[in-house]
Amino acid sequence: MKEKTPVLVRYRYLFSLLVSVLLAFGIGAIILAASGFAPLQAYGAMLRGAFDSARHVGDLLEYAMVLCICGLACVLGARVGIFNVGGEGQLLLGAIFACQIGIWLDGMSPWLVIPLAALGAMAVGAAYAFIPGVLKVKVKVNEVITTIMLNTIAAFLCQYLAKGPWKNANKNLVAATSQLNADYWFGKLIPRSNLTTAVFAAAVIAFLVWYVMQKTSKGFEMKIVGQNPRFAFFSGIKTDRLVLICMLISGAMCGLVGMFRVYGVEHLYKSSVSNDYYFEAIMVAMIASYQPVAVILLSLFFAILKIGAQGMELIGIPSQIYLILQTVIIFFMAAESGIMASIDAAAQRRRAKAAAQQRQKEAQA
Amino acid sequence: MNEFSELLKSILSPGTFNEMLRRATPVAIAALGGALTEHAGIMNIGMDGMILMGAFFGVLGSFLFSSAWAGLAFAILIGVLVGLFYALFVIKFRSDEFIIGCALNTFALGLTSYMSRAIFGTSGAKGYPSLPDLHLGVIGKIPFFGGVIDGHSLFVYVAVLLVVILWVFVYKTPAGFHLRAAGEKPETLRTAGLSPDRMKWIASVLCGVLCSIAGAHLSLGYLNGTFAENMSNSRGFVAFACVIFGGANPIKTYLASLMFGFFDAIGLRLQGTISSDLTGIIPYAITVIMMVYVVIRSNRRKKHAQKRDPKAAGGAA
Amino acid sequence: MEFPGVLANDDISLDIKKGEVFALVGENGAGKSTLMNILYGINEPTDGEVLIGGKKVEAFSPKTAIGLGVGMVHQHFMLVPSFTVAQNIVMSMEPKKYGFLFDNRAAERKTQELVNTYGLQVDPSAVVREISVGLQQRVEILKTLYRGAKILILDEPTAVLTPQETDELFDVIRRVVRERGMTVIIITHKLYEVMAISDRVGVMRKGRLVGVKNTCDTDEKDLASMMVGRPVLYDDLEKTGTAGENRIAVEHLTVTDNRGLIAVNDLSLAVHAGEILGIAAIEGNGQSELLEAITGMRKPERGTVRIMGQDVTGKSPDQIRAVGLAHIPEDRISTGISAPASVTDNLMVGKHDDKEFNLFGFHQRRSTIERYAREIYEKFDIRGAGLDSDVGSMSGGNMQKVVVAREFSFDTPVLIISQPTRGVDVGAIEFIHKAIIEKRNSGAAILLCSADLDEVFRLSDRIITMYEGKVTGSFAADAITKEEIGYYMTGDRSEKEARA
Repeated sequence: MKEKTPVLVRYRYLFSLLVSVLLAFGIGAIILAASGFAPLQAYGAMLRGAFDSARHVGDLLEYAMVLCICGLACVLGARVGIFNVGGEGQLLLGAIFACQIGIWLDGMSPWLVIPLAALGAMAVGAAYAFIPGVLKVKVKVNEVITTIMLNTIAAFLCQYLAKGPWKNANKNLVAATSQLNADYWFGKLIPRSNLTTAVFAAAVIAFLVWYVMQKTSKGFEMKIVGQNPRFAFFSGIKTDRLVLICMLISGAMCGLVGMFRVYGVEHLYKSSVSNDYYFEAIMVAMIASYQPVAVILLSLFFAILKIGAQGMELIGIPSQIYLILQTVIIFFMAAESGIMASIDAAAQRRRAKAAAQQRQKEAQA
Repeated sequence: MNEFSELLKSILSPGTFNEMLRRATPVAIAALGGALTEHAGIMNIGMDGMILMGAFFGVLGSFLFSSAWAGLAFAILIGVLVGLFYALFVIKFRSDEFIIGCALNTFALGLTSYMSRAIFGTSGAKGYPSLPDLHLGVIGKIPFFGGVIDGHSLFVYVAVLLVVILWVFVYKTPAGFHLRAAGEKPETLRTAGLSPDRMKWIASVLCGVLCSIAGAHLSLGYLNGTFAENMSNSRGFVAFACVIFGGANPIKTYLASLMFGFFDAIGLRLQGTISSDLTGIIPYAITVIMMVYVVIRSNRRKKHAQKRDPKAAGGAA
Repeated sequence: MEFPGVLANDDISLDIKKGEVFALVGENGAGKSTLMNILYGINEPTDGEVLIGGKKVEAFSPKTAIGLGVGMVHQHFMLVPSFTVAQNIVMSMEPKKYGFLFDNRAAERKTQELVNTYGLQVDPSAVVREISVGLQQRVEILKTLYRGAKILILDEPTAVLTPQETDELFDVIRRVVRERGMTVIIITHKLYEVMAISDRVGVMRKGRLVGVKNTCDTDEKDLASMMVGRPVLYDDLEKTGTAGENRIAVEHLTVTDNRGLIAVNDLSLAVHAGEILGIAAIEGNGQSELLEAITGMRKPERGTVRIMGQDVTGKSPDQIRAVGLAHIPEDRISTGISAPASVTDNLMVGKHDDKEFNLFGFHQRRSTIERYAREIYEKFDIRGAGLDSDVGSMSGGNMQKVVVAREFSFDTPVLIISQPTRGVDVGAIEFIHKAIIEKRNSGAAILLCSADLDEVFRLSDRIITMYEGKVTGSFAADAITKEEIGYYMTGDRSEKEARA
């Protein structure tokens, strides 16, 4: 019987996810109805908004790519027990440095500039992740709190650079760098959409992360370190080094996403290269139970919600409803084991009570 | 040289400190709530969402009942509900407090933006009844000091009162002892026949209320009856930084919020000299350095304890 | 009380009389603590009833228990480290002023009164974090007295105490029983303490109460055989070969514990090929820290550790393992396994980088790994729900077999073994003992540490005793008896003799 547990666990997960999604849409429907919109019509508009044109499909794929790579970056840290909340800052710094590299090297071959920009973005992201990583490993300072602080610092720093030393010549754009030479832009895969050739690089990265985590001896080490770091250290695994390396790679991935956003979509740095995308990605990673494949699939799902919600605007429904849908799913998934445990405990109490009554009856008889 | 002294003068003017107090207060009130959850052993990332809810429902109440006081009451009521909601997940269902905090922030953003647009038709609301500013009469005439503290919105003064009340509550009342025990070592309460979870519920609800008040002050006092989308503007995270910086001590937490407010305020004064974005970094950097310092110091203390106490060092256990 | 799948207490009926000292003994995991936790209301029985002072307990909670005059001193102290002694003692029954403020002065005064009444010296205004374990225990006892306890439950109170502190504790127990008419229940697994302090003794085994006797009608040997359910007689293990070259050399080693206090004090020892050196010591005398320092889990302050002739002082476990050492840790759950991982994965850790299990040095060959794991699983007679199930769901004995199987399969010339059979069933004990002797006979140098004195005697060639971080005696295993060695485990013999 016990041999089957993993399968049961997987089914339970899918079941919980399904119930959460249905509940979210149910609650969403109530809110929509309460504010005078027809829920079915609204959800229809959402579906159309996501799939009615190639452009929207492209946009949602691009957004899914951002969520997926950021989510995997989070998973990579979580697997070894370090929670990288600083992806937002790493992403912003990666974006602005990648952009600036393109501007400094303006005129050189794209074959040189693009790889250099990618490397630069990764190096900056990794360097910024190094600070909380080394503080966690060497000094045991809580990485969640430091990365939250470092996010704000990075946001300020980027804003300073974009307003000050690296500001563009155009007076109307307040906080933005100059635009990249069009030679360096990633090619569009679907015209007028945000989807560019960066998605291929992202696919390769996603595959590599999945492969290393699930199929290699390093991935095995990571799993053990995350499950029981003391045991891993005891067994001769270099835990500190592994945790730090994972943090650096996580930071590098976030930095690279920043580069994708600039070279693919924005073509210059401004704060809209990321709108708390990494926080959304953390939530995706969490609902995915930190499993790479689930991260990829759920990224797509949330991208559909987000892009679809823009379709709802067309019939006058505020698109922010998607934030509510998304977070309700997260609330339920985060509480899933707690809710299950409460149900179990209640059932157990009932059983115990019934059994005690039964015995009392028997004793009396 | 002359330029520099001019600059210094403008930095150290009553105006700067007045601005500091003004900017610090919304953060400070929320941070006081965060100090309570921190003492109860909950890492509360969700304060930003709580502030946003308070800000929106304050304006909504003010709009519905045409009174800022009703708006405040409405915000407090919502604060209780948000606190209960947060506690339900974090305490009852034992969910990851970080994820719930993050989700609460996003949820609050979604809900307030959606409702704001559904009710007010735009993404903001303006010009509803607001909380009064206070003028202190004679005290306002005291040179420098008067200029700093006079003429603020009501809750700037209430905040100071709250600091005192919460400090007494946390460090001088039995309930405060239970609250701290719940965070530091919950088993002690359990074996004393008390419920640590109950203290955590209370802390969460109080935090919800305080953050809501902070939000209501923001929309009804600070901005005189205005709601704008995402108007909490990461103040919840600043409040969180203050809690960490102040070690969850209400007084130190309040001082930390003044520090954040100060750097915020001089950013404006220094425009043209140093970017306000750079001065904005300073308090966060100080917080990180503080955290590292605190950990290193506690490690060093352990080592020192052994050297100071030769008898203990010789002991077996 | 049933834990998932485990019956911790099975149909127990027990009467404890007013004004007596009742000792509850049994091996680890026999269910002593669970029984007492039910009495204190922390756990609720699935069936049956509890009467305290003639009253039936309706709602099981510590509050009810305190109301009925039950006080419990837990094995892990229930004190808030940053609070003062007085603040800890009055918790839940705080003196107040003005109706809502905590009256610190009154708390300290009341504490001082208690201190004076019971003669348990402790400074009411000291911060708990900064006082010794012995004093912390006093605070725990004072806390129960403050709450008006008539029945005092002590869960393994001596595990963390020095002999002097133990003597003092026993004086206190005798005094409160004599002068205050209190009832004391003491949980322990040290039989000489039972003989020293108790009026009656109950023995538990595998969740059942197997006997209750008057202490004066029994002796340690009798209790021991009740505890393990059979006369403590094992077959002799066949030891062959003679000791060879030096493989573990520890010189002048000083190690601190987690609180920064000195746990191992200028200690030296040597272990040779083909011999087992056993460490006999009461818990908390530095043996854990010593083994951790040797295996790289803890950085020593001073001194050197040499394994196979190489200086490994302060190196990390991976470097030390590379020299040729394997380690069975004292706490398998925190250190010896990864509970959520499968049996296969747990058996693979440490070998996961080996060439034979990886294609191109990085791609895991799952089929080879599974074949290998199956082989080990069968060889070590591990019984559970199969190779794919979580180790965390296995019984203690099988979990320990997983640890032993993995560590022994490294075939290292040096083995560090700590508490190899703690909480393990008899069948598994026999299996593990034979495996250890097999290793010894094939020439491994083994350093063994166990709280079970019988185990130390059965397996070791030589025995050293440790007390307060120092070696107090060194003997050939067949040249000393268990009774004699007790003296060395409870203090520096030479010092005592000098004084006498």
